[in-house]
Amino acid sequence: MIKEVQITIRLLILAAVFVAAACSGSTTSNAVLDVPGSQEAPTPVSSIRNFMDDLGRNIEVKGEVRRVVSLAPSVTELVFAAGGGDRLVGVTSFCDFPEQAKGIAKIGDTMNPNMETIVAMKPDMVFVSTASQVEAFTKTLEQNGILVYVTNPTTIDGVFYNIRQIADILGTTDKAEPMIAALRDRVGKVWTKTRPAEKVRVFVQISREPLFTIGRDSFLNEPLAKAGAISATVDVETAFPRLSKESALVLRPEAIILSDSEDNREPNEVFKDSPAVKNGRVYRIDADLISRPGPRLVDALEKLAAMLHPDLFKREE
Amino acid sequence: MNKLLRYIFILSLALLAVLFSAAMLGAESVNILSLDEQTRSILFDIRLPRIFLAACVGASLAVAGAGLQALLRNPLAEPYLLGVSNGAALGTMVAFVFFGAFEWSRPVLAFAGAGLASVAVYQMARSRAGMSVERLVLSGVIVTTFLSSIIVMLTTVLDAARLRSFTFWLLGDLSQASTMGIYVSFAAAIIGTLIIASQARGLNLMMVGERDARDFGVEVGRVRLLVFGAASLVVGAAVAASGSVGYVGLIVPHIVRLTIGSDNRLVVPLSAIVGAMFVVLADTVARTAIAPRELPVGAITALIGAPLFIYLLRRN
Repeated sequence: MIKEVQITIRLLILAAVFVAAACSGSTTSNAVLDVPGSQEAPTPVSSIRNFMDDLGRNIEVKGEVRRVVSLAPSVTELVFAAGGGDRLVGVTSFCDFPEQAKGIAKIGDTMNPNMETIVAMKPDMVFVSTASQVEAFTKTLEQNGILVYVTNPTTIDGVFYNIRQIADILGTTDKAEPMIAALRDRVGKVWTKTRPAEKVRVFVQISREPLFTIGRDSFLNEPLAKAGAISATVDVETAFPRLSKESALVLRPEAIILSDSEDNREPNEVFKDSPAVKNGRVYRIDADLISRPGPRLVDALEKLAAMLHPDLFKREE
Repeated sequence: MNKLLRYIFILSLALLAVLFSAAMLGAESVNILSLDEQTRSILFDIRLPRIFLAACVGASLAVAGAGLQALLRNPLAEPYLLGVSNGAALGTMVAFVFFGAFEWSRPVLAFAGAGLASVAVYQMARSRAGMSVERLVLSGVIVTTFLSSIIVMLTTVLDAARLRSFTFWLLGDLSQASTMGIYVSFAAAIIGTLIIASQARGLNLMMVGERDARDFGVEVGRVRLLVFGAASLVVGAAVAASGSVGYVGLIVPHIVRLTIGSDNRLVVPLSAIVGAMFVVLADTVARTAIAPRELPVGAITALIGAPLFIYLLRRN
């Protein structure tokens, strides 16, 4: 009896080994079909490259990074700017820019990505922003042999650094450099004009009710400074604080910037006596431009500068 | 009833003191001796309406709790735990999603939701053997969970900005109140308190047992209808204006009973005053604890309420 059981177990193990072998065999052949070049020019084993992400983690890249997943709209835009858009095999359901991003397979949203979908896509690397729940995902992904790179730019230069890093990882540096140079040039043009101008005290209204704004840790503070402005709430802790109405009333901003969305088209009631409202200095800006720390932060910078300092930017219109 | 008037007098003085301190405390300091335009605006446009709403909501929820506890002969009956608040929340959400701009729809649908939820819980909890603590709490939990899942499903149709606004409101948030929300809560608090207080004698007798109450000439069905109706009314108005401020209806009547005994003729009206004080105090904490940022008031009341709930559950 015991012997029979033992034989059965052995047979089962044998069967499992066969199945496993068959499976791995089939995936290998698929991989060969997918990427015909991979066998002819195998990457040398010695090419281990090291990168440091925005959390200061060291990422060791062995071989090429061909398949990548993005876990945030800003990250998707960074990857496209880096010239690696064609490497993206998965993005979030909110990744809608550039146009091509809409056609890429979806893996859920930033806060709630589908782990199984991601692993099934067999990416070499997943790019995440700190807005994602990094800790929990990183472990699972790394256990599956998938590298995780965290982006968290806090300035426009930080965005450029991210684009260059992603390009270096993907081997698309040639495409990224002209892009970065063009963006840097645009920033320089704005900064030359706004640098001597007096700073406008602005209130950035992220949501009207309850009243959310940007605080000390927001990546918008530096672009605002370059646009010739200063956030009235630059001293408030955290990146997106919910502000009490009375504190908002006391701020008396000179201009109000509304992150454009259906419920955020008007300044909050408390600003009705502020200089901004009285002088008609209330501006709307596409929410995507100021909520995604990616290459379009330069678009935001240009728009903000032109809104806040119309006299400096007259000629171009 | 001299006793009642004396208590009301003393507690009203205490309430006034609380209201005054709350008006003086906030993210921005206010000097009432030199009121410039800005401080006047802070005080009269922002702070006082909010404090007034906090008082109405507190009174409403406490009175509903006192009424339901007496009616169901159950110390754990509370609008939030029984799913009545969630019923009102669902009603408000339906108004929010489908009738966005139509302000009247909020309290009306909240009232309807609260009413349906309380009827559902009551029917589920009732058995031939009467209504046990376990059945009531269980029914409340089930109705609450069921309603929560519908609320969560409905949130998927909201865009990001409205979702954020709604999430904060759901947690109990007095800062989003409209002028109309304040009027409606005030009217509801007064009417609800008067109705439930008028049934106090009936409730006293029903606490002994429905049969005995009938023998004493209490129209049990009428008392039940009036108390459930009034509780749904006040909870609906409170939730429509400020979301689910939890545990107020549980804690406040207990504090009152522990201090002055369980005569509902005293418990019901006094709960209204103590409830007003409790929520005004909790909201003052919410407004000032991490100023200039803000916390939702529901988080503060739950923080105090949950441990007290466990204590009461263990004592029973």
